[in-house]
Amino acid sequence: MLEPVIPNVRDWPIARIARQQDKILQEVLTETLQQIQRQNPKSGAMRSLVAKAVYQERIRIKNDAWKVDPEDDPAFWSKIKKKLSNSDPSIIDKDEAAKIELEMLRDIIRRYGAEIINNFDPKIYWFAQQTLPHFFGRLLNASGGSIKGIFKPKVLLKDKLFVTGPVEKIRHLSTKGTIILVPTHFSNLDSVMIGFGMDMIGLPAFQYGAGLNLFNSRLFGYFMGNLGAYKLDRRKKNPIYIETLKAYSRVNVYNGAHTIFFPGGTRSRNGAIEKDLKLGLLGTVIEAQRMHYENNPPSLAPKIFILPLTVSYHFVLEASSLIEEHLKRTGKEQFLLPDDQFQNWKSILKFFWELFGASSEITLSFSEPMDIFGNEVDDEGNSIDRFGKPLEAHKYFVTKGQIKQDSQRDMEYTRMLGDIILEKFHAANTVYSSHMVSFVAFELMKKRFQDPDIFTVLRMPEEDREIPWDDFVFACNRVRDEIFRLNNINKIKIAAHMSWDMEDIIEHGIRNVGMYHGTIPIERNKEGNITSKDMKLLYYYHNRLDGYGLHKCI
Amino acid sequence: MAYTNASKKAPVGVIGAGSFGTAVANLLAENGPVLLYSRRDEVVDQINKARENGGQSIHPNITGTSDIEGLCERCYLIFPSVPSDNFRSMMREFAPYLRPDHIMIHTTKGFDIQLEEGQTLLDKSLKIAPSDIVTMSKVIIQESNVRRVGCMSGPNLARELANLQPAATVIASRFDEVIREGEYAIRSRRFQAYGSHDIFGVELAGVLKNTMALAAGALGGMGYGQNAMAFLIARGLGEIIKFGNALGADKSAFMGIAGIGDLVATCTSPLSRNYTVGMRLAKGESLEHILDTSTEVAEGLKTVNICKKVSDRIGLRLPIISTTYRVLFEGMNAREALSFLMDYRWATDVDFM
Repeated sequence: MLEPVIPNVRDWPIARIARQQDKILQEVLTETLQQIQRQNPKSGAMRSLVAKAVYQERIRIKNDAWKVDPEDDPAFWSKIKKKLSNSDPSIIDKDEAAKIELEMLRDIIRRYGAEIINNFDPKIYWFAQQTLPHFFGRLLNASGGSIKGIFKPKVLLKDKLFVTGPVEKIRHLSTKGTIILVPTHFSNLDSVMIGFGMDMIGLPAFQYGAGLNLFNSRLFGYFMGNLGAYKLDRRKKNPIYIETLKAYSRVNVYNGAHTIFFPGGTRSRNGAIEKDLKLGLLGTVIEAQRMHYENNPPSLAPKIFILPLTVSYHFVLEASSLIEEHLKRTGKEQFLLPDDQFQNWKSILKFFWELFGASSEITLSFSEPMDIFGNEVDDEGNSIDRFGKPLEAHKYFVTKGQIKQDSQRDMEYTRMLGDIILEKFHAANTVYSSHMVSFVAFELMKKRFQDPDIFTVLRMPEEDREIPWDDFVFACNRVRDEIFRLNNINKIKIAAHMSWDMEDIIEHGIRNVGMYHGTIPIERNKEGNITSKDMKLLYYYHNRLDGYGLHKCI
Repeated sequence: MAYTNASKKAPVGVIGAGSFGTAVANLLAENGPVLLYSRRDEVVDQINKARENGGQSIHPNITGTSDIEGLCERCYLIFPSVPSDNFRSMMREFAPYLRPDHIMIHTTKGFDIQLEEGQTLLDKSLKIAPSDIVTMSKVIIQESNVRRVGCMSGPNLARELANLQPAATVIASRFDEVIREGEYAIRSRRFQAYGSHDIFGVELAGVLKNTMALAAGALGGMGYGQNAMAFLIARGLGEIIKFGNALGADKSAFMGIAGIGDLVATCTSPLSRNYTVGMRLAKGESLEHILDTSTEVAEGLKTVNICKKVSDRIGLRLPIISTTYRVLFEGMNAREALSFLMDYRWATDVDFM
C-alpha cells in the first residue's frame, strides 16, 4: 500500500467538483445548448429534436420502465408534450414559439443533467475504504478452510491484486493534470478491482460512468453514486440526452476530474481484447484538452493524460453468459440466454470466495501515460515525440498559426487515439497459464477440421475432443516460446508463473481456468490426456490470446 | 512565434522538383507564392535563374530552395512529390523541422517497403506480407509529428499539366481541413479538385494502376488497338480492385477519378512513364537498357514486384500482374505473355464487385 498522493479526501478533485454541483450543472446546460444550437441551425430543427425525445421517452416509460426511474417521469414528459403542441409556430407568434422551445430544451437538459451527475461523498468513500478490504480480507481467511479465520485478517485483497507499470510517475502526474484511465473490460468486477488498485497505489478516487440499471438496487446504487459513479442510461438514445452526457463528461474532465472510461463500451463478449472502441465519450477528452489550449497560453494550459490499463484475470465470472451472448449475436446459435451471473449476490460472493481460496490472482497492468495524441509524456507531463524531443502538442489544434475549433478534426484525433489505446492494450495484456492452456487446447481441437468455421468446432462431440498429453505439452512449449519472443519485443506481457516448468504451468492453468465454472472448460482425464466439457468457455478463454498470430505455432 | 506571422499568403511548399513536383508547383503558383525544394543546388539555380526546369517553364510565384528548415518554417501546407524509394529518407531529413501544425499532401504513387539488410526486391525467394507494405501517408506519420496528412491522386500527366491543359484530381484525407486547404491551394480554372475521406483507397488506386500501365504499354508496343486496350483496362481494373480489397481498401475509390480515371489516362497515353517502359519492352529493348536511359522513375516496376510477392503470399490470383512480372523479371517476351493471357480461363465478367 502506498501513501495517498493527496492525504485529505476532501481535497480530491472529485470531492472538490462534487461541492460545486450547481456550477457544473449550469456549465452542462450552457454547453449542451450551445452544441445543440450549433448542430441544428435550421429553423424547426430543435423543435423536432424535442419531439423526438418526447416520443422516445414515452415509449421507454411504457415499455421499459425501471425501478430507478423517477416517479414523475410520465408527468414530466406529458407536460413537455403538451407544451410542444401548444407552441406550434403555425398557431402562435414565432418568437413566442422559439422562447417556449428553448424553455423545453432547458428543462430536458436540466433533468438529464441532474440524473447523470455523481454525488461523491467523502464520508461514504472513507467508510468503504476502511471496511471493504477488511470484509474481503476476512472472507478470504474463512475461505481458506476455517470459518474462524473470518476473525483473523491475515491475507488481504492486496496480496491477490498485482499492480504493474510506472506507478510513481502516474502518482506524480495525478497532481500535474487530469488522468483519463482507459481499461479493458471483461467483467463487472473490473470497476471494483480497479477501485481497489487505484486505492492501493494512493491515487484519489476517479469518476466513472455506470449503467443506470446498476442503480436499480438501492443499496448498490447508493454506494456507487457516492463513490464517484455517474449514471449512463443506454435506453436513452435521443440526441439531447447524448449531448447532455457528452457535455457532462467534457465539463468534468475540463474541471480536472480524474475519469475512467471503458472505451470498449461494454464487457468483451467473446473474451478477446477489444478490437474496436466506442469513441463518443473519449472524444470529449480531446475537446476538453482543446478548450484548455484555447483558454490558456500553451505552457500554462492544464494537461490531460491518457492511461491505458489492461486487467488480467485467470477466469471471468460472467464468462458463460458473455460467450453465449456473443455466439448468439454472431447469429448461428439459438440459445436462450442464461441469467447474467451478476444479477445475484451469491455468485459475486462465490467469486471472491474462489478468488481468495485458490491461488488465483488479478493483474492490473498500467501502460506508460500519454498525452491525448498518444505521445509519451515525461515525468512532469510534457509531451515527448517518438524521437525523444519535446513536442508542442497544442499545435495539433493550430491552423495557420491559430488554435481553431474543428469538430471533424477532433473526431479524427479521437479515432487515432483509439487506435493507439488498442495497441497498448495488446502490448500490456498479461499472459497467464490459464490463457495459454485454453488457447493451445482450442487451437489443437480446431486443427482437426479442414473447415475452420467456429461453430463446427464448438459443436464437436465430447469423445472427439481428447488431445494426447505429449502433443499438448509440445504445442504449449512452442506457443510459450513465441510468447516469450513477443514479450522480448514488448508486444505482450507475461505473468511470473509462465517461467515455471511446463507441466507445472499446465497444471496451474487447468486448475485456475476451471475453478469457478460449473462446467469445466479444460481438464486432464483418467488417461492423462487433455479434454474439455465446455467448448464455448474454452473458446472464450482462448480468445484472450487472439490477434497475436500464435496459432501459427500450432 | 514566427509562424503566427505567416499571412494568408504564406507560401505553399513542394518537396521534389522532378517533372511532377514542378507541375504541381506551377499549379499552386497560380493561387499564391510557392517554395519548390530540390536537394540539388544546380536545380535550384536553374529554377531561380533560368526560370525553367526539365522543359517546364517556372511560374513567377515560385522560388526554388534547398533550405529544408526555411521551407518548414515558412510553409504550413507542404506537398511532398518524391519517388517512393526516396520518400522515407526525405521524411527523415525533414522530420526535425516538421511541426504538429503542418499539413502534408503527398503525390507519390508507390509503396514503401522496409527490407532487411542485404535483401533486395529482386530476390526471388523474398516473401512479402500485406503488413510489410505501407503507403506514403503512413510513412509521413511514422517518420514525423505530422498527423494531418492527405494525398493528391488522379489522371494528372505532368506534361499535359505543363501545357496548361485542363484536368481533375482527388484530394483525399481523413481530415476535412486537409481536403479544404488542399483544394483551396490548388484549384484553378484549369484544375478541378474533388475531396475524399478514403485516403487509403485513393492511394492504392493510384499506386496499383501503374501495373496496368506497363501492360498497356506492352500492348501498344505490339501495335494492338483499342479492343485489346479496353479488354486490358476492364480486366485490369477488376484485378487491382481485388488486390486493393485484400489489403483492406474499400472498392469505391477505384470507381472515381483517382481509380478508373487515372487508369484510363495512364493506359492510353504514351506520355505516361510506365506506359513508355512497357512499350519499349514490347519493342524488344532490355529492361536494363530502358532503366539506364530513363531520367524518370517508373513506380510500376517496383509495384508489380511487390504485388506479385504479396499475392503469392496470400494466395490471390492476379493473372495480368503476375504475367507482367514474368515479362519484367523472368525474361518472358510480351507476345508469349499475351497468348498466355488469351488462353487464361476467366469465368465471369464482373467478379470483383
